[in-house]
Amino acid sequence: MSTSKLRFFFQESWLLMVSAVIFGALLAATDAAWTPRIRQNEASKFGNRASSLLAGAVKFEPAAEKIAITLKGKPYEVDIRKGLDAAGNCVGWAFLCEASGFADKIKLVVAADAKFETLKGFAILACNETPGFGDKITIKNGFYQAQFQGAPAGKLTLVKIGDAKKIDNEIVAITGATVTSRAVVDALNAYIVPIKQQLKEKGLLQ
Amino acid sequence: MSENQTTVGKAIAGGLWTEIPVLRLMLGLCPTLAVTTGVKSALTMGLCVIFVLVCSNLAVSLMRNLLKPHLRIIMFTLAIAAFVTIADMYLRAFQPEMSEKLGAYIPLIIVNCIIICRAEACAAKNGLLVSAVDGAAMGVGFTIVLCFLASIREVLATGKIFGYPVMPDSFIPLAAMAMPVGAFVSLGLLLGAVNQLTGKKASTL
Repeated sequence: MSTSKLRFFFQESWLLMVSAVIFGALLAATDAAWTPRIRQNEASKFGNRASSLLAGAVKFEPAAEKIAITLKGKPYEVDIRKGLDAAGNCVGWAFLCEASGFADKIKLVVAADAKFETLKGFAILACNETPGFGDKITIKNGFYQAQFQGAPAGKLTLVKIGDAKKIDNEIVAITGATVTSRAVVDALNAYIVPIKQQLKEKGLLQ
Repeated sequence: MSENQTTVGKAIAGGLWTEIPVLRLMLGLCPTLAVTTGVKSALTMGLCVIFVLVCSNLAVSLMRNLLKPHLRIIMFTLAIAAFVTIADMYLRAFQPEMSEKLGAYIPLIIVNCIIICRAEACAAKNGLLVSAVDGAAMGVGFTIVLCFLASIREVLATGKIFGYPVMPDSFIPLAAMAMPVGAFVSLGLLLGAVNQLTGKKASTL
């Protein structure tokens, strides 16, 4: 590139480059200042939700190994956490789970018992489903959430008509929110079975 | 004074009534429809827009004499994106629940037409004071409309405002008001009322 072309380039673009550096520095400083707090918020939110599901758990520590699962044909690593009571005994497992809902992604914390045989239920981290319909999945201990508390940690089936009070692998959908109800069940099925299998293979289950 | 330049008084009047973004310029309709299910979310969105508008107007005004025509839009976008990212990070750090509730609508402020419109129409042609006042007035105008719509929708959809019950026990909540249809209906009625008030009529062919 000749000197005149180089000079022209800098004459035309110096403001953009200088501004990019200034705004970049501003964002870097903001990121450095607030990211620890954002991470802490995320961790405490996970801890709060998981503690509400696993009675007696006072802290959550990451499992020895991450669990690799396949979601829609893509490899994905699940950061599964072991819930420990005050004496350090394992009282259950909790992990983050994402479902593709009707309006947006639904983020859930799912918990299972120490042997990974029964589910302790799920709690919502993020949900933007339709008010009055899909957002009924967020009602703590509501008819939909309650069906997962004590359900077998295996393949779940969604049904439109059934007895919601009977705790088994059949989950009765919310009327008018079948897409959201199915999204949660499908996501749990995609996570629970491979997680349980790998925890067994790795000898992490009691 | 050049015809492109404005005054502090005009900027305030413009932002709060004569050019109020949602009702007169019909700008910023996406967040208006999306986040007005509750007053808290509307107020948070409004405050974020005020912050971004004031900061981006100040940044654009500072660099106005150095701007080259072909780099104008990219410079505006750079400034706006930086301030929107800061607002988004602030919410994630200090208001995490609200940040999750507003979801993608905070990052989407970057493409809110009000911000780039004010950078182009005012900040690129005026000094720091006028640009800052214009940004604040436009932001406040936007926030007032958002909060007004949100209060109507929240009361009709839940019988509450800011989470406090304000309707009698016999009130039956209208779930539709919390859905997109409620946003369109209430915005349409509000626009109709403003047009009636200002005597604006549909143009005849």
